[in-house]
Amino acid sequence: MSSSYPKFAVVGHPNKGKSSIVASLALDDSIQIGNTPGTTQVKRGFPLKVDGKIVYELFDTPGFQRARGVYAWLQEHGDVPASKRVDVVKEFVYRHRDNKRFRDEVELLEPIINGAGVIYVVDASKPYGAEYEIEMEILRWCGQPSMAILNLIGDDDYKEEWSRALGQYFRLVRTYNPMTAGYKEHIELLESMAQLNEEWTKPIKQAIEVLNRHYELKIEQTISTIYDYMIKVLSFVHKQKIRGEEATPTEKKRAKEAYRKKILSYEHKEQETIEKIWQHNNIKKSKEELNLERWGLFSEESASIFGLSQKELIITGASAGAITGGGLDLLVAGSSFFLGSLIGGVVGGVGAMYGFNNLYDLKVLGQSIGKRELSVGPIQNLNFPYIVLGRALYHASVMAKRSHAIRGAIELKNISFTEEIISSESRKILEKVHIKLRKGKEISKDEQEEYKSTLHKSFLKLLD
Amino acid sequence: MQQKTTQLSLKSYLDLNQLLSIYRGSHEENRLFSLSQKKRDSVAILLSWLEKNLYRVTSELNSTKYLHYLTIFSSLFGFIALILGFSTGFALLSYSGSEPVNVIYLLLVMVGLPLLSMLLSFLSIVFGNRGANFFAHLSPLYYLERVVNVLPFAKDIELSSLPFSATLSKWIFLQRVQIFSFLFSLGLFLSLVIMIISKDIAFGWSTTLQVDAKSFQALLATISLPWREFIPSAVPSLELVELSHYFRLGKHLDSNMIQNADKLGAWWKFLAMATLTYALGLRLIFWGVISYLFKKQLKKEFLSLDGVSKLIKEFQTPFVSTQSHKDEKHLEIKEKIIHKVEENVDEEYQAILGWNFSDEQLLLIEDSLGIKAKIKEPVGGKNSFLDDKKIIDKLKGDILIYVKAWEPPTMDFMDFLEDVLDNSSIKSVNIAPLGTAENQYKYTKEDMEIWLRKLDSIESDKLGVVNV
Repeated sequence: MSSSYPKFAVVGHPNKGKSSIVASLALDDSIQIGNTPGTTQVKRGFPLKVDGKIVYELFDTPGFQRARGVYAWLQEHGDVPASKRVDVVKEFVYRHRDNKRFRDEVELLEPIINGAGVIYVVDASKPYGAEYEIEMEILRWCGQPSMAILNLIGDDDYKEEWSRALGQYFRLVRTYNPMTAGYKEHIELLESMAQLNEEWTKPIKQAIEVLNRHYELKIEQTISTIYDYMIKVLSFVHKQKIRGEEATPTEKKRAKEAYRKKILSYEHKEQETIEKIWQHNNIKKSKEELNLERWGLFSEESASIFGLSQKELIITGASAGAITGGGLDLLVAGSSFFLGSLIGGVVGGVGAMYGFNNLYDLKVLGQSIGKRELSVGPIQNLNFPYIVLGRALYHASVMAKRSHAIRGAIELKNISFTEEIISSESRKILEKVHIKLRKGKEISKDEQEEYKSTLHKSFLKLLD
Repeated sequence: MQQKTTQLSLKSYLDLNQLLSIYRGSHEENRLFSLSQKKRDSVAILLSWLEKNLYRVTSELNSTKYLHYLTIFSSLFGFIALILGFSTGFALLSYSGSEPVNVIYLLLVMVGLPLLSMLLSFLSIVFGNRGANFFAHLSPLYYLERVVNVLPFAKDIELSSLPFSATLSKWIFLQRVQIFSFLFSLGLFLSLVIMIISKDIAFGWSTTLQVDAKSFQALLATISLPWREFIPSAVPSLELVELSHYFRLGKHLDSNMIQNADKLGAWWKFLAMATLTYALGLRLIFWGVISYLFKKQLKKEFLSLDGVSKLIKEFQTPFVSTQSHKDEKHLEIKEKIIHKVEENVDEEYQAILGWNFSDEQLLLIEDSLGIKAKIKEPVGGKNSFLDDKKIIDKLKGDILIYVKAWEPPTMDFMDFLEDVLDNSSIKSVNIAPLGTAENQYKYTKEDMEIWLRKLDSIESDKLGVVNV
């Protein structure tokens, strides 16, 4: 008796990427994926549950190991009309349930005879072979709605010959590479699965709606996390008592190191949260590839990778200055002939140019009675927020786009975080908040929303 | 008395803030909680969530400390206001027996002053947030912080960690100001009652301004409008106003006033009603309005607390789970490979078998690699087991089996291989994994490793792996 929700068994030859496809569709990076045949030993169900209710279920299954043996048994016992062939398959499963020889076949056929649709996976980067026809014949005997997925594991392309052969056995043939598939491809595949059976269309459409909302929620959570992180990093001040009149080089070094550690701990925590949001709980963090610190938060190299160029910085500074000056104009109702904006622009621009290499703002506070305090931060450099923001947005976009089928360590490419991702208009909005944070001022609700909305737009651009 | 967390109050506001700093729940938990609630209103669900999870705050609640101090300070200020009101009333109504008590002066203090303070409160409401920062510095909270900071228990309450905005502080302040003012007026009223009972006070009225008795009576009649219909005796008549009018408050009383002393005392009803209506009644209404606006602001800030929007989102968004409930059975992958790939290949074998290859493909391979054999047979693939058995039975000597390197060895192949090895006429069985024809049959290292690992499971001296 089949359940009320659609079920799909992902089946095929060993090592054709069945588990990768399931990992990608189920957003589960814990599934064991290996190039050794037999990595998947038992079938596992991956239900898509919405508030505890199953909308559909995917089954990851072992690959065919003795397809010829199964087919020989079916032919021997299957001198029946086509409408009764599924009963022969059921009998095979029943009779071989405890037979170790056909353990894999029983595991993969069981969900199908219980009503699951068939998703047959092949590697279309390798040539077609007639030996696959036995597997396809067995699946045909099951009489369930079926589709084939062309997975391109290697670099070569034999899609055409595979499509010609698969088209004779399956209602739909689709290409899906779990290693590169993003959210859009995921949804497209689900839409194809919905076409397999009229009864499944509604629940799958419902699942797509839910997944869309879920995806939007994850984006929102990402933006909130990055916003909170930005506030923490840009307003953080490390304070340390010093003994003498002025801080010694050792004290300054210690204070800077403590400050740096704290900033890095904020980044670490933020990245962890982002990875959790995007359900990447098993990211391999190899020092060579994942360790973002190798670029150094305070190094010139970071600035050239994620930060703005000196020219862009001047424009940003000028914009920020112009905003300040504009405020002056508004105050005198424009009677300053917008001189305020002009002065602000020049001052901002010069300020940006001057501050490019002054990353730290070190202040010696306190009275002359001997108790003095050394404070580090907030960093006054206008470029710093963009370095931090660039890293955060880029890391988040990598996580959002990363397929759950990938098991390798994260690889962050060097991207230029410039006009394409944050326009000069957006930078003005961001800069308004950065100025306030540098001055330790409170950010209003409207400014928060405007800042988040700007981050949202930039993040969506990175996801495209 | 402590309020319950099921009602939106300062306590629930502070408690939620404290709870959210240590616990926010998972999406699944929060969504399930919201589904279990009959309520649909976000605030109501949040309050229930707070009630359910407040036990997680194991340290002393900030609300307990804050409300305790706020109550102490409010009570203190309230008591002072009451005493101050009573003293003021007592001083104003002190009648020496030689000069009457000026009604105008009494009216200014008993009605005018409360009305003025109400006007100030009203202006602060109208100015909204612009006045918020200013009022924050007038707030009891602000002074509480200053006072508490110098007290020994300063460390007990971290006011800077409390989430109040300047606007909310303003409302807390305004609400309390109404109570203090009410108590001040109550003090005045009580002193009036007590003085009326214990003393015979002669009231009069006098002003530097040129106001005749008729105009003054008209003004008083307007003030008496709220109670004129119910208590007409509390509205000063023209006769009373004329009688009690005197031009200079001197050291002696007008003889006319002395003759009508009993009538002059009738002013008290008017003064009592004016205080009850304007200073106390109106103040209560004002307090009600401010309490309503305070609740509104509190609700707004309650919903703006850090973490609340995420919580509400999780209440409202269906929880999606895609994980398997069944544990994975992990395959233990053998790291060490025993079989070695033999690079020296014979030019001729007794038989060449092509596992899952066709006749045509075998011909192409022979043409490409130049390895010859008398018997060349495709095996596996679409062959039946009987076909394969017949081929195995006729084999002898050295055998070469081509396999597709990119296709991992299945158990079907392993069964076949064991059958081949079981044939005693066969001297050696050499497995040759081939790459695709497009790649000139060159296999990849990864593919070869998969084959070697699998073949390691067969122990046979006859078995070898060759690179053709």
